[in-house]
Amino acid sequence: MPYIKDTIAARATAPGRGGIGIVRVSGPGVKEISRHILGEIPEPRLAIYSDFRDGEDVIDQGIALYFNSPGSFTGEDVLELQGHGGPVVLEMLLNRVINLGARIAAPGEFSQRAYLNDKMDLAQAEAIADLINSSTEAAARGAVRSLQGEFSTRINHLVAKVIELRVFVEASIDFPEEEIDFLSDERIEVQLAEVHQELDKVLDETSHGALLVEGASVVLMGKPNAGKSSLMNLLTGRDTSIVTDIPGTTRDVVNETLQLDGIPLRLVDTAGIRNSLDKIEAEGVKRALAAGEEADLVIAVVDASEPDAMKQAESLLEDRRTVVVFNKIDLVADTGLLTDGIQMSAKTGLGLQSLKDQLKKRLGLSPNAGSGFTARNRHIIALGCCKESLVAARSLLIEQRAGELVAEELRVCQQNLSEITGVFTADDLLGEIFGSFCIGK
Amino acid sequence: MSNQNRFDVIVVGGGHAGTEAALASARAGAATLLLTQNIETLGQMSCNPAIGGIGKSHLVKEIDALGGAMAIAADHAGIHFRILNSRKGPAVRATRAQADRQLYRVAIRQILENQQGLSLFQQSVDDLHIENGRVTGVLTNMGLSFHAPTVVLTVGTFLGGLIHVGMDKQAGGRAGDAPSNALADRLRELPFTVDRLKTGTPPRIDGRSVDFSDLEEQPGDEPRPMMSYLSTLADHPRQVSCHITHTSEQTHDIIRGGLDRSPLYSGEIEGVGPRYCPSIEDKVVRFSDKNSHQIFIEPEGLGTHELYPNGISTSLPYDVQVNLVRSIKGFENAHITRPGYAIEYDYFEPRELQPSLQTRHVEGLYFAGQINGTTGYEEAAAQGLVAGLNAARQSQGKAPWCPKRSEAYIGVLIDDLITMGTREPYRMFTSRAEYRLILRQDNADRRLTETGRELGIVGEDRWNSFCEKRNQIDRLSDEMRVGFIQPGDAGVEALLGQTLSREYSLHDLAKRPEVKVSELLGAIGHERLPEHVTEQVEIDCKYQGYIVRQLDEIDRIKAQQDYPLPGDLDYTEIHGLSNEVVQKLNQVKPATLGQAGRISGVTPAAVSILLIHLKKQGKTQVRQRA
Repeated sequence: MPYIKDTIAARATAPGRGGIGIVRVSGPGVKEISRHILGEIPEPRLAIYSDFRDGEDVIDQGIALYFNSPGSFTGEDVLELQGHGGPVVLEMLLNRVINLGARIAAPGEFSQRAYLNDKMDLAQAEAIADLINSSTEAAARGAVRSLQGEFSTRINHLVAKVIELRVFVEASIDFPEEEIDFLSDERIEVQLAEVHQELDKVLDETSHGALLVEGASVVLMGKPNAGKSSLMNLLTGRDTSIVTDIPGTTRDVVNETLQLDGIPLRLVDTAGIRNSLDKIEAEGVKRALAAGEEADLVIAVVDASEPDAMKQAESLLEDRRTVVVFNKIDLVADTGLLTDGIQMSAKTGLGLQSLKDQLKKRLGLSPNAGSGFTARNRHIIALGCCKESLVAARSLLIEQRAGELVAEELRVCQQNLSEITGVFTADDLLGEIFGSFCIGK
Repeated sequence: MSNQNRFDVIVVGGGHAGTEAALASARAGAATLLLTQNIETLGQMSCNPAIGGIGKSHLVKEIDALGGAMAIAADHAGIHFRILNSRKGPAVRATRAQADRQLYRVAIRQILENQQGLSLFQQSVDDLHIENGRVTGVLTNMGLSFHAPTVVLTVGTFLGGLIHVGMDKQAGGRAGDAPSNALADRLRELPFTVDRLKTGTPPRIDGRSVDFSDLEEQPGDEPRPMMSYLSTLADHPRQVSCHITHTSEQTHDIIRGGLDRSPLYSGEIEGVGPRYCPSIEDKVVRFSDKNSHQIFIEPEGLGTHELYPNGISTSLPYDVQVNLVRSIKGFENAHITRPGYAIEYDYFEPRELQPSLQTRHVEGLYFAGQINGTTGYEEAAAQGLVAGLNAARQSQGKAPWCPKRSEAYIGVLIDDLITMGTREPYRMFTSRAEYRLILRQDNADRRLTETGRELGIVGEDRWNSFCEKRNQIDRLSDEMRVGFIQPGDAGVEALLGQTLSREYSLHDLAKRPEVKVSELLGAIGHERLPEHVTEQVEIDCKYQGYIVRQLDEIDRIKAQQDYPLPGDLDYTEIHGLSNEVVQKLNQVKPATLGQAGRISGVTPAAVSILLIHLKKQGKTQVRQRA
């Protein structure tokens, strides 16, 4: 099949701190990568214990497994590096693999290749399509999440600067006869340096984790006074959310992180969803709905003592990400009718273990974890590529005054940024140019 | 040639698209009929008297490399040549010629009349013959029928053309020419999506009434460039200068005072005009902080005093036009020979076209030029060539030729149109080409002439001259790779202005930004080679890293890019695609996986799902190529 046969790589284990962490690589570049990292190509299907090297440095030590084409999961050459699982070490290992010519796998891409190479039953076409879709959704949610707060501000600023530079560089190429105050080469050089500096700063801070929070996001949603805040406090073991019996007490989004057997969770308590005349509460509801959109999992809390509890649950289950919790089960006499959800009492702690088990199951099997990449990693790698283009652009400008090559490097830089911010087409660029300058011979 | 009524290809329209279409069709061996309202206006330049420019000369040279007429006609008519971006790298350099309108028409007509297998006939077309969804011929205004299995429509702004000057409007395809309303009405009955666009021209001015004494003169470039790979300097007529002037605050006041009678600002004009070529009233309103706009004064020809003031296209009322022109330096006593006007016209949604430029709704019917939503002679001519060639090939039972984005600006142009559509008149810019460093105006022949030869549209003379050039380039490239310069080589070190620390190949030395291959060859006493040969080798050396990177990229995604998608694929039936994506894919019906991926809103995940679907289907229809 005509898929792009390059080499892909991803973390194959769930994000977070685990016993082992696996990086999986597939494609024609595997042998070369193996030679660099292990110093050899292991015998196929034979586990070896080896250093994982980056030049002279040893990143980690662990088990390496090589499968040669076609006798592998994807049908291509595959290398599995099983290391010590810490997020930082795994990230370094993955970056090393990327530097050696692989790229981060797209959501569901390993399975897709397996399918295209006849490694999976043809009847599974629909299942693969679903996997690609759900992984893509998960990735998109991850990307939105990692693009919050300070990081997002920085990235948007960076993108705006690159676009501004491109507007000048491209306009001077396509419209040299217009009376535009083109930037001098010296000015462009200064701006390139500024963007470069800013990029360095973002990269530095992201790799220290200051700007990005990793982990799955779980949002608590439900009608006012269904007991979301009580559940939050029960799960975190802390009194983070204020609990009263007055509906509408939680008016904003409350964040808390916890570890669920090594999987980092960002737990989000939200304002209850109802039409409220109270401005602050209404804003809280708006934020709650937005948080729900970005979540990996939604815990929908239903007050089991309400007569239409089951009906509420049914409508909530339409969203595949939802886990329904029938709260206040201690107030209900006949619990047999409440199916497809977890019966529990946030007050007494009844059912807490089943909820935790369910969360683990759902997150452990989540395609996001399965394909093992994270938005954060993707972003850092994309920023690294941007940096390379900027460095090249600057030296082309200084040494050769080659405007068209500077333009090419900036185009590549923007292409990498589009990994983070979405596609920016040639037409978008022209739109910026026509908006900025009076073009019109 | 006898007045028969059966042909292989009928081309309707004798503008820049129509002429290249008719010529390409005839060169490809098809019996071709060109129908035009008026033989006298074949090859008419309705707007500014210039051929080429940035992005556009790339198209002209590609047309030339494929045996077309535009570049040769521009060389015979060009009275002022310039190289744009001459201080930038070769990939973005462009050639522009101011052309004498009359000489251009004469040159085009001569080429048309001498083309074997091509008949010209003066008739306007009122209707198409269509049977069972296939075009079979055309009906003219005299009631004559002509029959052919393929028809190329290149009717420019003539469909439902409406000319505005102030609040007055009248039907017209161009000032002085009638629109094709019968045909427009007929086409509106067919299942094509029709919309309106707008373009405009400035008032023309009698040069004898202009005071040039204080205006900036802009002479042509020396050494003078040529458009065609086959031309020589002897083909050029006498050369003249252009001039530059500017609008003033007073001009802008006059314009602002006339806006209440502007069809643009009173809502009379519904069509969308180009953002990069706005009317002067648009510029004054949108960029109100600019107190002056530049005007290029372009001569219309050697045999006329008429001038084309490029930059003040307008549809303001005539009395305002007179005042605004006379407020411009040098034009204080100017006499307007023709008022400026805006024209609105029908165009067809280009996303309903196939990459061959055949319409999806009527088999055998091809559209080229402005009716596809483009602007510019060069864009029209490029489409004409492709449509004419493919109409001929269809009549001969051959597969169409659809140039790729990585192959030619023509490919970028057509792919953009059929994939993204357009909301304003589409013009080529180099920034539209992602493989800009490969698609240069200097190497159009190296990219396309061999293909053109295989397609049968490149003649003997062009082929021989190309082969000679290519052999010289190949030979020199080889020599430069195996030729080494030792430290102490006086000639080379003098040229470089430094001593060599080790031996270098000529190839490596040529990579240095400051080294010119012709001078390097001079320094080692190599035989003198033509500039067009050393230049190519030099560019190959200097761009090598980038060219390799882009070629790698093209190669890596090739299998997927070119993988054909069946035209009858019903995307609603593919499991896992979102409604939005299904709708877009069904609208465009992409010809390849690559094209599908370029549709805005079609995500990489959607392309993956398409792949999965194709794989599942591929078990029953074996189509494997990869």
